Amino acid sequence: MERIFEFARDLSLLDGISSREETVRNYIVDKIKDEKSCSYLIDNLGNLIVDKKGRKSPENKIMIDAHTDEVGLIVSYITSEGFIKVHNVGGINEKVLLGRTVKVNGLTGVVGIKPVHLTDKSKSKDIPEMDDLYVDIGAASKEEAEKYVSLGDSVTFDSEWVQFGENNDYIKSKALDDRLGCAIMLDMLLKEQEYDLTFTFTVQEEVGCRGAIAATNRVKPDYAIVLECTTASDIIGVSGEKRVCSLSGGAVVSFMDGGTVYQKNLYKKAMALARERGIKAQTKTMIAGGNNARQIHQSSCGVKTLAVSVPCRYLHSPSCVIKKSDVEDVINLVNELVLTFADD
Amino acid sequence: MTDNELISLLESLCCADGTPGDETAAAKIAAEVMNRYMDVKIDNMGNVVARQEASGRHYLLDAHIDRIGMVVTAITDEGFVKVGACGGVDTRTFDASEVIILGVKPIYGIISAIPPHLTKSGENKASDITDVVIDIGMDKDTAEKYVTPSDRVIFKSEFKKLLSSRVSCAALDDRAGVVSLILAVDMLKDKGLKPNLTVVFSVCEETGGSGAKTSSFSANADEAIAVDVSFATAPGVSAEEAGELSKGPMIGFSSTLDYNMSKALVSVAEKNNIEYQKEIMGSKTGTNADNIAVSGYGVKMGLISIPLRNMHTQSEIVDIEDIRNTAKLICEYIASEMGEC
Repeated sequence: MERIFEFARDLSLLDGISSREETVRNYIVDKIKDEKSCSYLIDNLGNLIVDKKGRKSPENKIMIDAHTDEVGLIVSYITSEGFIKVHNVGGINEKVLLGRTVKVNGLTGVVGIKPVHLTDKSKSKDIPEMDDLYVDIGAASKEEAEKYVSLGDSVTFDSEWVQFGENNDYIKSKALDDRLGCAIMLDMLLKEQEYDLTFTFTVQEEVGCRGAIAATNRVKPDYAIVLECTTASDIIGVSGEKRVCSLSGGAVVSFMDGGTVYQKNLYKKAMALARERGIKAQTKTMIAGGNNARQIHQSSCGVKTLAVSVPCRYLHSPSCVIKKSDVEDVINLVNELVLTFADD
Repeated sequence: MTDNELISLLESLCCADGTPGDETAAAKIAAEVMNRYMDVKIDNMGNVVARQEASGRHYLLDAHIDRIGMVVTAITDEGFVKVGACGGVDTRTFDASEVIILGVKPIYGIISAIPPHLTKSGENKASDITDVVIDIGMDKDTAEKYVTPSDRVIFKSEFKKLLSSRVSCAALDDRAGVVSLILAVDMLKDKGLKPNLTVVFSVCEETGGSGAKTSSFSANADEAIAVDVSFATAPGVSAEEAGELSKGPMIGFSSTLDYNMSKALVSVAEKNNIEYQKEIMGSKTGTNADNIAVSGYGVKMGLISIPLRNMHTQSEIVDIEDIRNTAKLICEYIASEMGEC
């Protein structure tokens, strides 16, 4: 397990907004390039597709997927005073940017905000919209800013890897969605597997699950397991079904989300398997969110697809929070699912 | 003082805690440095008071040592930590921010954020402080071992250098002012001047200014200058309501300040080629100056502000050069008053 968290730390701290996943891809390639059981290709979109030789060939072709991109910002304009205007890449609530530091080409920038003292009282709780946000790198003029920053450059969260809680059983970092999924897959690639498997590290999930379409069309699997992080709202101020899923609740298997209606028998099989094997699993109590399953299940000739996720608080923020025990549950369930799907 | 010395002093002060009523950590750092120049004591309120007895007019320089933060009010049944404001925090910047709870030991936490899918469109509002909770990854029993109501909470903020001489951190309000006063005293020493001087790093400015009220009463000075931060222009913050970053100290003009002193500060700045700007306020300045002026039998009062962006957030921004020029202005002002120029 420790190795997975080391990979997750390294991978989550790499910067790679959608369509700029190169550093993430390179990290993974570097780790697997000498593995005799692995052969890989990088497709035209930047998807990294790795075939892993197992002890046996399965009846059914199984693909396991995680996405390499993360949400972030892109430089859209530089004002005459040297402030940098941005667009979001993927869904980001402005609230998690205000007053925070971000990274631009190795520089520190600050997402500024009009002081609350100068804000009309009736508007003092209003959140500025993305169009009104700007990044301040301390440039005194447009010319100075342009020495360091160009339109189209990436802006990413400035966030450290932190373990916390009494026994350090919680982790906070940026981009755990979905570098944690990448880390789990990387660990599987470096371990002996019972069956041949294909792993897809896909691009552009945060902007419409685009990379997964081409990757699936190439792999043409019978089964796909999407490894993800999904929103857990088990916090104060949210109760009942609105919590969706909980940290400590184990692997999250959805029957339906914002992007996919999962095959009911597959969902039931996964939950039954978890019960039988004593693996903690839970489902989502709201139909919300979405992931690469959205595209994978309806690509190629159609794919039996399941998403198995780590519950994650504060998703799409600089401070994604997960619990280590849930990661263990996800790994155990995925391993069991592989054995089941192989000869189903 | 070199730029590196100045920056490292500012960094150590900004990274120290010290919310209202609990300023010890920052006060200790400031007191140690001031001790090199003057006799230092901590008074009943917790103010750092540095004194240099000499003949002539007695000058008081004030900057506040406290920083905004939060205070733990309760632990919920699920182990989340509820807080109250300790100074004027801005909850718009709270969601998913990292904090340190100063409990039995420093406890890392994240301010909880309700995900967007549970927010109705058009309702993207900042929370009231009473709804803010901190996630520390503990259940109630565990949390209670480490955290108690009254523990203070600060943002986990790193000191960052931006382009040119600009820096960003929490607590630059008013640790930047504290550094400017230390630097001013350093400059006076370099000039060989020994004014009759009291320097106070006062507590509880962010919660009403009790520190400056009492320390100025004790000092019983003839005239005083308060140094605080003020708004700098940025998108949405116009030149009408703010000064400009990197354009020098903002000399206050207000009906609660001494008009002649404001003008004297301007003339000292011009005579010494110190870049400055004027900050015009109709009545109260919202700083310790308001209280110091009417302390004791009354004190002739001036105010200098260091321009700052993103006030009361975890990423305030100042320019080191503005701090340096503030110090220079104070030093030259006292020098000219002493007839040394």
